[in-house]
Amino acid sequence: MGHYKLFLSLLLFLCLLIGSCSPHQPSSYKKSKALLDTFVTITVTADSQDTADIAIENSFDVIERFGNLVNFFSDESELSAINRNAGIRAVRVSPETLDVMEKALFVSEKSGGAFDPTIGPEIKLWDFLNKTKPSDAEIKKNLPLVNYKNIIIDRGKSTVFLKKKNMLLDLGGIAKGYAADLAVQALKQKGISAGLVAVAGDIKAFGLKPDKKPWVVGIKNPRQKSNDDELIARIQLSGKAISTSGDYERYFIMDGRRFHHLLTPQTGYPASACRSVSVISDEGAIADGFSTALFILGPEKGLELAKKMGMDAMIINDKGAIHTTPGLEGKLTIERNH
Amino acid sequence: MKETIKNTTMADRLLFLFLILASIAGIFISRDALSQGSDVSIEIDGKPAYTLPLYTDRLLSIDGPYGPILIEIQGKRVRVKESHCPNQLCVREGWISKGVIVCLPNKLVIIVGSGKKDRQRGIDAITG
Repeated sequence: MGHYKLFLSLLLFLCLLIGSCSPHQPSSYKKSKALLDTFVTITVTADSQDTADIAIENSFDVIERFGNLVNFFSDESELSAINRNAGIRAVRVSPETLDVMEKALFVSEKSGGAFDPTIGPEIKLWDFLNKTKPSDAEIKKNLPLVNYKNIIIDRGKSTVFLKKKNMLLDLGGIAKGYAADLAVQALKQKGISAGLVAVAGDIKAFGLKPDKKPWVVGIKNPRQKSNDDELIARIQLSGKAISTSGDYERYFIMDGRRFHHLLTPQTGYPASACRSVSVISDEGAIADGFSTALFILGPEKGLELAKKMGMDAMIINDKGAIHTTPGLEGKLTIERNH
Repeated sequence: MKETIKNTTMADRLLFLFLILASIAGIFISRDALSQGSDVSIEIDGKPAYTLPLYTDRLLSIDGPYGPILIEIQGKRVRVKESHCPNQLCVREGWISKGVIVCLPNKLVIIVGSGKKDRQRGIDAITG
């Protein structure tokens, strides 16, 4: 009799096991692709692999098209056309380029120029791989070319014009966040109700995971003690985007000073009041642009601006102290070793 | 021995089979958990081309649309040592011991680590 009970229990267990593998249960599907000179990973919650594949591939296509428009290194891109025609004429652009330009100008204005997409002439002077620091004279010479107020956007004619010759737009501080916005929009249009788009570290999440929990994003420790993607915090995310700017990605140390790619538009030198800034916003482009802006502004002014703009932020200052906006309470977990 | 087998019922045998299957599954699960970023995966045009151990120093030359691409693995790190692509972003990336190097002109992706550790940590993505 006991054996029969055991047999029946085992049978019931196997039935449950098979039942739990039903193909109609929503699951997570993930795919990665090299786009926008980086690695893009899209995860979606869907009923089947086919539904997920169609939606993800469509979003990859959307990002690729946008990437071709704003590719700094391609002569064919609209961005290069704007740069080539600086001081000469206005260039007609597609709606996406116009839109990302308008968002870039919005962040520039709201941050008082801490974020400036015309930083190109200064950025190109630095070579972070070969640890080459430009001379003070070179930096000073290019400074008059950096000013977002010299970008003229005509929405009616759909044109962008850089007023001064040799001005150079660099959308590296906003394009990836904007691409995450485009990809999420495309996923929703394909009927996907939950997903996460990570354009390198510019991430946008919507809906909930199959286990009905929000998505979890780790924030890198700006001073890694090992080569293991050490985290300093983790945050729960749904219906929001997060971007991080840090002094540890493209940098070199010379005479004990860290030189990195986040340059103050008014001086041409790297900002030094923060190690990393993460911004959480409804839009990827806004999170991306403001993470740079807050980094340049430093912890105090940065937090003030985040609150004013209704965004959340986590700022790690130059000493390693963590500052956060009150809105992150209950959503942010600082890792145990910090 | 024969007597013991003879005395077992169908339920005993099913239980025995289940335990064997669970043990085999355990081997795969633990193997999955232990491998953490010890391989370098190289994808060309979206398709896996090479998987190499990160702990063996070597130079690898791959033909790309702009000529040979020289990939170097040394001291548990990898880099694109030489490429004739126009923007040189892959070379400028320098050494990585985890993460990804992308070269769009050459349609080349080098991946170190597989994200398995992130899944164990309960992380869906990393910013920074």
